[in-house]
Amino acid sequence: MSAKIRTLEDLVIIKDKVDKVKSRFRLRVMLCGGTGCHASGSLKVKDVLKAEVQSQGLADQVEIIETGCNGFCAMGPVMTVLPENIFYQKLDPDDVIELVQKHFIKGEPVKRLMYTDPVTGVIIPKLSDIPFFSHQQSRVLRNKGLVDPESIEDYLWRDGYQGAYKALLQLEPNEIINEVKVSKIRGRGGAGFPTGTKWEFCARSEGDVKYTLCNADEGDPGAFMDRSLMEADPHAVIEGMIIGARAIGSHQGYIYCRAEYPLAIKRMNIALEQAREYGVLGKDILGSGFDFDMEIYQGAGAFVCGEETALMTSIEGRRGMPRPRPPFPAVSGLWGKPTILNNVETWANIPQIVLHGGADFASVGTESSKGTKVFALTGKVNNIGLVEVPMGATIGQIIYDIGGGIPGGKKFKAAQLGGPSGGCLPAEHLNLQTDYEAISEAGAIMGSGGMIVMDEDTCMVDMARYFMEFCQDESCGKCTPCRVGTKRMLEILQRICAGQGQEGDIELLEELAGDIKDSALCGLGQTAPNPVLSTIRYFRHEYEAHIYDKRCPAAVCSAMFTSPCQHTCPVGMDIPKYIALTRAGRIDDAYKILKRTNPFPSVCGRVCGHPCESKCRRGQLDEPLAIKNLKRFVTDNAKKPRVKEIPVTRTEKIAVIGGGPSGLTAALELKKRGYAVTVFESMPEAGGMLRWGIPAYRLPRKVLEQEIRDITDTGVVLKTGVMVGRDISFDQLNGNYDAIYIAVGAQKSWPLEIPGEDAQGVWGAVEFLRQFNLNEKIDIGKSVAVIGGGNSAIDSARSALRLGAQDVTIFYRRERKEMPAQEEEIVAAEEEGVKIEYLVAPIEVMRQDGRVIGLKLSRQQLGKFDRSGRKRPETIENSEFVVRADAIIAAIGQNLDQSFLSKTSNVLVSKSTVNVSESLRTSNPKVWAGGDAVTGPAMVIDAIAAGQKAAAAIDMSIRVSKGEPAWVQPPHEYIEIPFEIDEETVECPQAKMPELPADKRRRSFKEVELGYTMEAAMSEARRCMRCDGNSD
Amino acid sequence: MNKKCICEDHYDVDEFTDEQWAKVDKIIDKYCGKPGALIPVLEEVQAVTGFLPEVVQRRVATGLNIPLAQVYGVVTFYSFFTMKPRGRNQIRICLGTACHVRGAQQNMDALEQRLHIKQGECTADREFSIDVVRCLGACGLAPVMTINDDTHRQVKAVKIDEILREYQPENDSSKEHYDVCKN
Repeated sequence: MSAKIRTLEDLVIIKDKVDKVKSRFRLRVMLCGGTGCHASGSLKVKDVLKAEVQSQGLADQVEIIETGCNGFCAMGPVMTVLPENIFYQKLDPDDVIELVQKHFIKGEPVKRLMYTDPVTGVIIPKLSDIPFFSHQQSRVLRNKGLVDPESIEDYLWRDGYQGAYKALLQLEPNEIINEVKVSKIRGRGGAGFPTGTKWEFCARSEGDVKYTLCNADEGDPGAFMDRSLMEADPHAVIEGMIIGARAIGSHQGYIYCRAEYPLAIKRMNIALEQAREYGVLGKDILGSGFDFDMEIYQGAGAFVCGEETALMTSIEGRRGMPRPRPPFPAVSGLWGKPTILNNVETWANIPQIVLHGGADFASVGTESSKGTKVFALTGKVNNIGLVEVPMGATIGQIIYDIGGGIPGGKKFKAAQLGGPSGGCLPAEHLNLQTDYEAISEAGAIMGSGGMIVMDEDTCMVDMARYFMEFCQDESCGKCTPCRVGTKRMLEILQRICAGQGQEGDIELLEELAGDIKDSALCGLGQTAPNPVLSTIRYFRHEYEAHIYDKRCPAAVCSAMFTSPCQHTCPVGMDIPKYIALTRAGRIDDAYKILKRTNPFPSVCGRVCGHPCESKCRRGQLDEPLAIKNLKRFVTDNAKKPRVKEIPVTRTEKIAVIGGGPSGLTAALELKKRGYAVTVFESMPEAGGMLRWGIPAYRLPRKVLEQEIRDITDTGVVLKTGVMVGRDISFDQLNGNYDAIYIAVGAQKSWPLEIPGEDAQGVWGAVEFLRQFNLNEKIDIGKSVAVIGGGNSAIDSARSALRLGAQDVTIFYRRERKEMPAQEEEIVAAEEEGVKIEYLVAPIEVMRQDGRVIGLKLSRQQLGKFDRSGRKRPETIENSEFVVRADAIIAAIGQNLDQSFLSKTSNVLVSKSTVNVSESLRTSNPKVWAGGDAVTGPAMVIDAIAAGQKAAAAIDMSIRVSKGEPAWVQPPHEYIEIPFEIDEETVECPQAKMPELPADKRRRSFKEVELGYTMEAAMSEARRCMRCDGNSD
Repeated sequence: MNKKCICEDHYDVDEFTDEQWAKVDKIIDKYCGKPGALIPVLEEVQAVTGFLPEVVQRRVATGLNIPLAQVYGVVTFYSFFTMKPRGRNQIRICLGTACHVRGAQQNMDALEQRLHIKQGECTADREFSIDVVRCLGACGLAPVMTINDDTHRQVKAVKIDEILREYQPENDSSKEHYDVCKN
């Protein structure tokens, strides 16, 4: 076969030979052959490709190599064509013929197979331009996608084994160790212990027999860096171990690889065979006189065997249980002999450190964490795969710049670092550098590099339970703190997730965690409590919601609810029931179900922010149910039962300040409980923001009036045109009524706080819409600038168009995906001709004779992340520009108008919101408050929920003070709910809501959305998967 | 969790063919005398017999000259070894973190419901068995499930039926009669 390599010249000769062979090829096709791509079918692609290239007579022009894992697994099978570096993804055997014809023969790369940016839709042909790859620094993964892992000659072509040569023939063992110490490399397995120091301890230990071990167990779920390294570049690991063995004086090595990695094991074995063949492994390596050989030892599915002493025990053929240290493995390890154990990634770094010097390695990274680190970026992120970055890169850079952000427009919630031993880092830490100490301070650990991204649909309590379940399962059982402690912690977490959490559970978890961390025998037990501690630290409110409210905000812990849509709805509307009735054509019954929990279903069916849809399980298949549109269909078409007056059965009188959705809902609920209720509304008509904010083309007046009538028909007294603080004082109400509910909303627009804003023609959005809805004349002019990105901004912009403006532009200081407005609204506005400019901020109002003539703005760029997880806009110097404007509408926020309160009201207000307790009671024991007045601008449904909660609290408080039992809701009329689901689920999108054409509607206030037809509604209703099961 | 004593699960020597026993003995011979050989031996033996009931463990213990208790200890410690037979179609579902976050638990629930068995068990006709794996390292394809050598990626719970049907034996008309493996 091949001669053994003896000298440096031999190495260079092979390198040159391979180089010559490769340079003869016109095209070199690197097809990814990692486990991920194999699973996606890359082997078939390879076979068809080879056959086609052969049959076209291109075999001596086109080289085809199956490389190791490229790291971009979700897009597999992937392929790179050199030398142009063209990247292809999601390949199918059917694509091969076109590829060969167009690209290989005609020289026209195939666009449809290239990478497309998921946000912009731009095609990026070259691998080096794709953000996922361009932001990475490939040092330890330098050979990925470039060599055939089953060919040692490819490795030699890339300067392989030159490091080993230097170590064995040009350096003394202590010089090797010194170089590693200069590099300051820390163990990449998770503990981060300085590698050079570890080797030094072992080198000093006495003995002829020493072992060099590689920990390739990679048990962390979600981590596959080591697998990819072994599949892509196995020789890097071998070369590293040869160097390490030399440094400590060892002649036998083992690679402990988990059995779940058959491809990695196969490639390592081939590499070992070839290494021996070429004389770089075995006896008298490279003619140096140094002997070293190694073999692969397969794991058998025990996570704990990733712990060093357990690993050694496993190699010894026993149960993988750790033992106390000291003695440390460097002194007494495998079979009692001095041993060094390092992680795969650590070993793969060593050849470069020896070849180019430790200082080169240390030139990258932070003060305490040098070099690069490979992260396995997985979970809810667009670009799942392997990411190698210099230490010090921030979490945000990795998740957003490289990972491409969160798919589906969902919000980032946390990133789990370090697997089951680690912790989660929420949005406030997106600027955190990847550095051992920095991460540790934030409550997580670097770990082996697993980084799992979680979004708003992940429940952190469930994640803590999941990790604890894993650790409990994998606990070896030797020490009590881990064996019993993790079990107890798991039981508590399971109870919490099942809706049986108790007061004191969080504190007990924290106490147990501390005890286990202090007393467990090995790293598994010592770190098992970390995910729990870290989720409690950052997401305590989520634990509390589970324990006290029996709610899972992410709608994951299914033991606490039947369907996620109903659970997420702030008022708990029984969505599956009314959808089932709609599917069966029983619209009148569906309407009755709606009214049971929501007095404003017609309104919500038009304007609700539909949090239910964001958790609809159908959304995981194709698109969520169009719940809001179905609700509207029901309210438009059902026969509405007459509302009967409810008799007053109690003596107490309740006053409600504010006739908006919150106040009216509370009034209705109190009326049901027998109270005499009076609502004081300052405007000529009730409705609050529904009447005076939301324009008629979104919510027709008649629709709103009908639902308000349904409330006043019960006997609620509504006094319109009465402003508390002007027509009647707060103190009078306080004296004349037994309880008061404040629901005045947040109806004062935030000022822009820029020079010139007192000019005529500058409006706050709320005031603009109110004035307009009062039918007062507004001369809006031709050019209108709207500042802001929420629903008020969109409403203002679309209303300005209808008032006759020619040119309406919304100026928003962030990017489109950050806009709080509903996507449907933004799209509708754009269709009508509203322009939107992003990343701009207003700096001055230009005025003439006291009137607005223009607006000066500056351009923004996105800087670091702020605490909410969004990138902070920063002004770009000298980027000012002026736009013409006849009117400026500021829609950047809304505040409480406190003028209704008196000096002696005793109602505390801070940060522009009314302070309330858990039960919505203010600091005045007779006064409750809810809705926007307490929360700031929120959704209608939130206001309705607050009204229901406050009414119940007021009623409870009155009854308790009089020693009366709680109110019992009279039973509802029985409505039988059909249970039908489709046998086969066929993917199909949401039914589209028909709309008035954009050019017709932009000047009219007729309702834009037209509502579903009966067929559309029933067909949409069929998509519901009845997550509530057959429960009634 | 194995709540019964192993002597209650009784498998005879006849459970396996002479050919299989011959292979087992060969494996034992190959490793005899090597320190720390127990785990590799058990791995190779299980590849032949499919599972490691007491009768096989005794053979290995005798062959390698180590106590049965030590063999039993290793078999029950490592999740790769099983004392229960596996189905003709071995379903291994990954419940690693990346898969969990992408809905693996729902897939597991659907599987258990469809086959009427729990994880670690095997259907009465020995067609299917379900095992949990904690991370196959194919996180880019989450949630992942393997059946024999086929890797199924981005599995959706509603599609589980379709996937299982591919592995159903040709002449099976009664899909409902799956009882838990009594043995």
